[in-house]
Amino acid sequence: MEDYGFFQSWAAVFCAIIGTITWRIAGVVLASRIPADGPVMGWVNTMAYAMVSAVLLLILVHPTGVLATTGLDHRLIGLGGGLLAMFISKRLIFSLLCGISAFALAIQLI
Amino acid sequence: MANPEFYALNASQTRRNAAIDALRAPCYALGITMAGFSTIARESGFDFWMALVTSLGVWGMPGQVAFASLYSTGASLFIIFVAVSLANMRMLLMVISAADMMHLKSHNLPLWKRIFWMQFLAITAWANLGLAQQKYPPNLLLPYYQGFALTIFAFGILGTIFGFFLSDLLPPDILRVVIFITPIYILLLIINARQKANRLAVLIGGVLSPVFFPFAGEWAILIAGILGGSLASLYSRFIAKWHLESVQ
Repeated sequence: MEDYGFFQSWAAVFCAIIGTITWRIAGVVLASRIPADGPVMGWVNTMAYAMVSAVLLLILVHPTGVLATTGLDHRLIGLGGGLLAMFISKRLIFSLLCGISAFALAIQLI
Repeated sequence: MANPEFYALNASQTRRNAAIDALRAPCYALGITMAGFSTIARESGFDFWMALVTSLGVWGMPGQVAFASLYSTGASLFIIFVAVSLANMRMLLMVISAADMMHLKSHNLPLWKRIFWMQFLAITAWANLGLAQQKYPPNLLLPYYQGFALTIFAFGILGTIFGFFLSDLLPPDILRVVIFITPIYILLLIINARQKANRLAVLIGGVLSPVFFPFAGEWAILIAGILGGSLASLYSRFIAKWHLESVQ
């Protein structure tokens, strides 16, 4: 049983790797076939942005792991602080600091 | 839009600049985020080598977390494969989008080299490429990506290694704040995307995914991504005519 567990756990690791690498290879192959400035490339780009944003908002609203030990209101205050600073200042690192500080303060004070 | 001073750089200067950009903030946050993955992986029953090979081979945080949580519940290999594929499906779109930004075709790299370099692509490097695109000429974006993505990757792998053994090193209050950095950093980057259609996509995708999550679970990412991207594309093409703005 020990050996079986060993092989199955590594098989699981390889399933996870294949499940990701397949997308990367497909992306490389497809990228060379889609015309650069055409509407399809524009659509792929908007979907990439929307999907990354969807992943991040899910991490912030329904987190797992360490972030799950903080409150939703704390995380939304952090997000709001960062976005507000970004709209006013247009400076990335400054806005990042504002968002992180807002989050840290919210955890301490609320 | 591109800054003239960046046009005079050669490839290795660009790689160095990119590594410095990565060292400014994102690499530390990402290292600690990957240490967070390592902690979850250890709790789920991974040994050290499994956690390391997962980070090296998958290199996509949401898929890795899905993998570790399923592993701890003893899910079948098929379920693990499907869940990780689903969680990392955005790699397809990000790779196409990154290849387009870097004009990868014009570099005439053999297929294996293109796949090799895309192995280092994850959300942070992709989002940063969007920012670099506003400063650097297209022919320098591949070296920029190489410098940035390799630096991030090195810190991510170091984070995985140290996280596995030193998961109790940081006090929980500090750990929570540090793990918050990466998602906020990337959101701030992509909400500033150069093209309006992409900014609109960030907004719609971000609003839709938590709304769909209670009904659709992890599928919410896919639904919000396709729906948000398509709505933003349609709006920009047919209503606002944003595609008329210059692409370069």
